[in-house]
Amino acid sequence: MILGLDVGGTHTDAVIIDGNRVISSYKAVTDHKNLLNSMNDALEKVIEGIDKGKITRINLSTTLSTNAIVENTLEDVGVLLSAGPGINPEVFAIGKHCQIISGSIDHRGTVVQELNEGELTKAVNRFKKKKLSVFSAVTKFSTRNPDGENHIREILAAETDFLTMGHKLSGQLSFPRRVATAYYNSAVWRLYNRFADAIERSIEKIGFKADINILKADGGTMPLEHSRQVPVESILSGPAASILGILGLCDIDEDAVMLDIGGTTTDIAVLVAGVPLVEREGISFNGRPTLVRSLETRSIGIGGDSAIVIEGEEVRVGPERRGPCMAEGGTSPALVDALNYLEIKEFKDYKASVKGIEELAADKGKDAGETARKAVEYAVEAIRQAVADFVVELNDKPVYTIHDMVDGHVITPKSVYVMGGPAAGFKSLIEKAFGLPVTVPANYQVVNAVGAALAKTTFEIELFADTGRGELLVPNLDVRKNITSRYSLDDAIDEAHDYLFQYARSIDPAMQESDIEVIESSAFKMVSGYSSSGYDLRVKCQVKPGVVMQVER
Amino acid sequence: MIQVKNRVGIIFFPAYDWAISPTHPEREERLLYTQDQLREEGVFDIEGITEFKPDIAVEEDVSKTHFCFPDVASVTTESHMISAGGAIRAARLVMEKEVDRAFALVRPPGHHAMKSVHGNRGFCNINNEAIMIEYIREQYGKKRIAIVDTDCHHGDGTQDIYWHDPDVLFISIHQDGRTLYPGSGHLEELGGPNARGRTINIPLPPRTSDDGFLYAIDKMVLPILADFQPDIIINSAGQDNHYTDPITNMNFSARGYAVLNDRLNPDICVLEGGYSIQGALPYVNLGIVLAMAGIDYSHVMEPDYNREAILQEKETTRYIKRLAEPVLKNYFEPPRDRSLPAPGHLTRRQKNIYYDTDGIQERQLESVMICNECAGMIRLESVSNRNPLSLGLEIPVGACSHCHDEGYRMFESGKKSKKYKVIQMIDRVGKNYFYA
Repeated sequence: MILGLDVGGTHTDAVIIDGNRVISSYKAVTDHKNLLNSMNDALEKVIEGIDKGKITRINLSTTLSTNAIVENTLEDVGVLLSAGPGINPEVFAIGKHCQIISGSIDHRGTVVQELNEGELTKAVNRFKKKKLSVFSAVTKFSTRNPDGENHIREILAAETDFLTMGHKLSGQLSFPRRVATAYYNSAVWRLYNRFADAIERSIEKIGFKADINILKADGGTMPLEHSRQVPVESILSGPAASILGILGLCDIDEDAVMLDIGGTTTDIAVLVAGVPLVEREGISFNGRPTLVRSLETRSIGIGGDSAIVIEGEEVRVGPERRGPCMAEGGTSPALVDALNYLEIKEFKDYKASVKGIEELAADKGKDAGETARKAVEYAVEAIRQAVADFVVELNDKPVYTIHDMVDGHVITPKSVYVMGGPAAGFKSLIEKAFGLPVTVPANYQVVNAVGAALAKTTFEIELFADTGRGELLVPNLDVRKNITSRYSLDDAIDEAHDYLFQYARSIDPAMQESDIEVIESSAFKMVSGYSSSGYDLRVKCQVKPGVVMQVER
Repeated sequence: MIQVKNRVGIIFFPAYDWAISPTHPEREERLLYTQDQLREEGVFDIEGITEFKPDIAVEEDVSKTHFCFPDVASVTTESHMISAGGAIRAARLVMEKEVDRAFALVRPPGHHAMKSVHGNRGFCNINNEAIMIEYIREQYGKKRIAIVDTDCHHGDGTQDIYWHDPDVLFISIHQDGRTLYPGSGHLEELGGPNARGRTINIPLPPRTSDDGFLYAIDKMVLPILADFQPDIIINSAGQDNHYTDPITNMNFSARGYAVLNDRLNPDICVLEGGYSIQGALPYVNLGIVLAMAGIDYSHVMEPDYNREAILQEKETTRYIKRLAEPVLKNYFEPPRDRSLPAPGHLTRRQKNIYYDTDGIQERQLESVMICNECAGMIRLESVSNRNPLSLGLEIPVGACSHCHDEGYRMFESGKKSKKYKVIQMIDRVGKNYFYA
């Protein structure tokens, strides 16, 4: 049995899945002051009447590290950067204790200038004076040559509780993203590990003997033990939980749109042939782009609690929220109240909604029914427009080969899936606006927990080989070895596949070879003058994202 | 956080699955290391710098710009249509004010493609800048346009296309044609009879370095642009003046390229040549992008940069200073051609054109109507070892009614004569582009 738990911004949901059925579920309002309490309550309630010993896997989606970063309860980090020529590295400085060291590595991984030892010693002494004990080290092109970052690790060894090295985060290029990701990872490390300890204690105390996994923003999980080294990977997993939930509850194999209509926002996701899209570069967080892989979603400021505003002849909804809707005891009419008024939905204090809409309309000398209708139309149209813009944007993403330009897939959604509090009320309205069939899945109230439960362990690697130099690198696995000049793209693909499979299996014994897929591979013949100087080989492999199974309706 | 002064759109299309041949300089990975550098620098994450997908040019975009024999499809492939489409997307972004500046980092290049096209010459089939300019003029109305070709090779294709056009100023800065392909681009080449002084060539001696290039920009190009007052400035941006380029002999640096673009301040850059794909392109392209956006580029530098080693000789400096006077004179007081026929009559110019890449030999007889009212109707007879005698007729943008009517009269008489395998009509007034 799998237990899925989502400690979300508004609600905490939990489910237990046995075979392919949801056999227990629980939902409560999240206690923001004590997320652990919310978690414990949910764990205890959802397991009532079920044998705890049968739970083999607990998957947890939590907003804790996200909150830590947003609320800036971050630990001071000693940041060491080395960039060399290019954009002035000062603009990427992050945190209160950032030191830039001279040195440079070029795009082939050749060391142009060694790190400056004098500057390095000075920086470390400065960190000592400040009594810092967590660090991050990032050099430009460290994914092509990690020597600089490894050297910094040796220098810092004695002082360190924890160090994040840029090349261990991802094989992807982007110095600024690596800088930000490494910084956040170290800054939340201690807080996250305390939380991880507390989770382990709680779960043990309740009496579970299960493996604990943490949901990531890309819709995969990582073992709790593994997450202690990369806590930054646990940020912003909420949207992924709901997308996976829909995938678990519905059988989708075509291009489709998912809408998660929440209290203040509607999150939009697009599926291509039933598969959710992953952000090409990584998620942006706190205004800083990072290397954290994430499912690609868009959000607009329209949700059930979005305030209704009359301006002249126009009725607008959102993006502002003035407390909860009136049906839930609020003081200002919101979108849900309009649905209540039109009897599209019967939610909580229906009479308060009617009163609120009538007063708002009367105040501006308008008809209450028309006001409610216009509010709902405005909301639906805004969502339709946002989806259309998102699809255009996705189809307009740059591609780099003639093949992809000419024969690339054009995304055309064939169906819409809606979840979230007001979902049921919007079904027919969205059907009409989009001209597409709309599904509101059963169990949609606990869709996030279902998503967490059904997520599988994911990981990805990038292999980079230069047969001219005779070197192969898999940066985030710290693999570096010599290869012969006969090493081919097929060798690289096989090897990348094996490295990923072995590693993935070491963190999740249930991993199958068939879970591994090659997502990009290229071989470029390098030419010096007019003769060949070897091949530049690149392979990107991942554990296929998705759900472990579908649950029965 | 980095602040941009100008919003910049980058159309990055490296065509990773296309090459002229396996060891040809114009090969798959030409922009691979540029992409690595731009990604590692986080250029596309800078607020105000956005990456866009190219459009795909359609036949009409080509057939209103070039005479293609026997037709457009025979001389182009998808790669050319995408590359030209990349330039069109750059123009759309700027004209529709989605961005302030745009850079089409696309391949294959185009500036050696002339008015008449039978195949590939100098790595180029169709002229990306010209197709873009004609798109701009047709979609957004008649515009004064200046092209500054900063490729190391003379932009003979673009020069040929705008030879007779007084509204498009073409300036080429290049390594002296006596020392490099294609051998043209001398001071004396200064435009056709209706457009004297609207073609300007600045041939620089081999081993010119940053000082020489920037002198040419400051003392020759900028004064001419200040007078011409273009609505749009286009940099036909070749990167083969770099000191590491394998097929040229200049000493220009990445930072020099950045300064050049800073001063020239082009609305649109379109990539041309540049074949030092590891040692130059990553840094030159980074420098150009930062300069276009108005971001500090003073830290951009090649790993092996050594200022002393690439300084130009004193004699080179003196030579370039002496160039300023004749260059400016060519624009401000172009010498008259006294052998011209009277208005309303056709000139005759014979040209032999060799297509080095495809080994094609073309013979042309080109005529333009001497006209005081418009750019003048163009008539071009062409024959090559690929195509029998063919005829191209162009009624130019803003043509007068006389040139318009003459164009159609020649079209009819051409058909009747049965001398030509194909006749192509470019009617820019009626927007009719067709073959017979």
